[in-house]
Amino acid sequence: MTQQAIKTNRIPALPAALPSRQEIVLLILILSLFGVANHLSPNFLAPPAQITLSTHVWELALIAIPMTLIILTAGIDLSVGSTMALSAVVFGLCYKAHWPLAAGAALALLVGAAAGALNGIFVAYVKVHPLIVTLATLAAYRGIAEGISLGQPVSGFPDSLTKFGTGSVGMVPIPAIVFLVVIVVTALVMARTPVGLWLSAIGYNETAAQYSGIAVSRIKLLLYTSSGLMAAISALLFVARRNTAKADIGTGMELAVITAVVLGGTSIFGGRGRLFGTLLGVLLIHEMREFLSWQWNRDEITLVVIGTLLILSVLADSLLSPKKR
Amino acid sequence: MTIHTPPAIPSQLQSNAAAGGGFFRLLKQREYGVLALLALTLIVVGLINPAFVAGGNLKDILVAAAPAIIVGCGLTFVVLMGEIDISMGALMGVLATVMGQLTSPSHAHLPVGEGILITLALGSLVGLINGLLVAYGRMPSIIVTLGMMTVLQGVNLILINGQWITDMPAGLRWFGTGRFLAVPISIWTTILVVAASIILARETPLGHRIYASGSNPEAARLTGLPVRPIKLFVFTLTGLLTAVATVVSVPLLAVIEPGVGKGFELLAVTCVVVGGTSISGGQGNIIGTVLAALLLSVVRPTLVFLKLGPSASYWERAIQGAFILAAVLLDQVARARSRRGKAGA
Repeated sequence: MTQQAIKTNRIPALPAALPSRQEIVLLILILSLFGVANHLSPNFLAPPAQITLSTHVWELALIAIPMTLIILTAGIDLSVGSTMALSAVVFGLCYKAHWPLAAGAALALLVGAAAGALNGIFVAYVKVHPLIVTLATLAAYRGIAEGISLGQPVSGFPDSLTKFGTGSVGMVPIPAIVFLVVIVVTALVMARTPVGLWLSAIGYNETAAQYSGIAVSRIKLLLYTSSGLMAAISALLFVARRNTAKADIGTGMELAVITAVVLGGTSIFGGRGRLFGTLLGVLLIHEMREFLSWQWNRDEITLVVIGTLLILSVLADSLLSPKKR
Repeated sequence: MTIHTPPAIPSQLQSNAAAGGGFFRLLKQREYGVLALLALTLIVVGLINPAFVAGGNLKDILVAAAPAIIVGCGLTFVVLMGEIDISMGALMGVLATVMGQLTSPSHAHLPVGEGILITLALGSLVGLINGLLVAYGRMPSIIVTLGMMTVLQGVNLILINGQWITDMPAGLRWFGTGRFLAVPISIWTTILVVAASIILARETPLGHRIYASGSNPEAARLTGLPVRPIKLFVFTLTGLLTAVATVVSVPLLAVIEPGVGKGFELLAVTCVVVGGTSISGGQGNIIGTVLAALLLSVVRPTLVFLKLGPSASYWERAIQGAFILAAVLLDQVARARSRRGKAGA
């Protein structure tokens, strides 16, 4: 029974398995949004507009990938926004100290991965609840970013960096290529190796997973480290796009990412969820935000709509499913 | 402390009550740890700069800590039930805007008393909705309150509509700057809320039921404890206390703008957790939360009074984060020691 439950919740690379109820609802919502957009403002859906608007989403989308896997194991990482700030500030300070760009970027990635690894050590080996660990590092990492930069922004990066953030290969923006590489690799690993099964198993029942020989601690360390690394990559993309590095970047990113993941149908209690759902969640949030701001120039309505959607979708799921808790 | 339970208590609850001695000794250790860190900070900084421990500054520290302590009391009960609430910061923002718009002469210009009553009612209502969704909608509280937080942020931006409120009436200002027996209103309010919360936790059947249902919800349900109404109560209480904190802290601000309450939810959760309340419910107390709130509030004045230069204040959050990690590590060590102790006995 349990074995079957785990099997059916395996994460496929592509929506090979039938989409879940939550995913169908999201698809319908996205399509109706497109329908409304097409009716009110056909230009919104034109590829050039969509490609320009997409520059806003890649950082969120990148961080949502490891976040999905972490939540699958019944964990959480609240420190991603602060890690972004820390990596960005490290990169900025290296540039200010006349380091070569590549060296600064390498150090920023290293710092991000180390920040994630520290979370991982506390969660996996000291065995502190991930909510508490990452709540602490949420304050600590942003605090260090504020401390070492004294709150001052670094800007005026060379064109070569700006090109990395805003340039494109053919029609495809460079950040999109970074995202595609990460998502394809992750999806392949999840589908073609036992990793996806392991993550679900840890989320369902960690003790059982441990006894069945899964290296729970090592997997968790790796997940939190990759979350930190992905936050660092997003930070570089952000700095390249906005041409400024400051300690306040990424504020609130953690909650936006978690909203996208949960909206995509991943259970906050772990064990159940798919990357495909997260992609739909990210897409819905992104398109909704861009359209409301395109059409009415009102960002605040987006917040109300997304918050309501999050509550209603999980409420519907809870009311429609047979009693679990 | 005794847990009032019907005669046929399941073994789980019994064993929890029986383990009370060791369990409370452990809790005390955690409180003492935070207390020791707080006392050490006060003594060391006081020796370096005596003005730090002067009455005026201690009062300022208390006033600064008041919102976290007040909301922390409600949140402690929520976390004791094994739930969480992260909508308090956004709620505080909305309540500040509503309170300002209701009473300010350039907006609705209602009497201050009415404005405050509506603010308190609105806070309780939002808490009630959170509680209904969690208790009766069977939803995870982190999702409910994350969604609520997002909605409230949007509502606040829509309400405030780019116009900051700069003309809070004098009657409203009094709640921030007024005094009774030379002590600010916010400190009186804090003392009142803390005392009531301690009595609720220790002396009332409801408090004992909160502990019981948090430490083992299934057992609590089977013994006939009304777990859902209790959950509804703790979320509503947190909403109400968020409104109380808004009333006594926001009038101190020069203006009401969309940034009010930003990040407050994380501060409150941090206080509860650093104060020793277990995130999985059932263990913890109010005093720990209060001490943790004081410890975190002392960081900024410490940096100022040590005269480390203007750049020092940028390290406030880093130091707060380090305090949390230190408290968590201490807790793990204490727990490991108690496990060893049990194995030996």
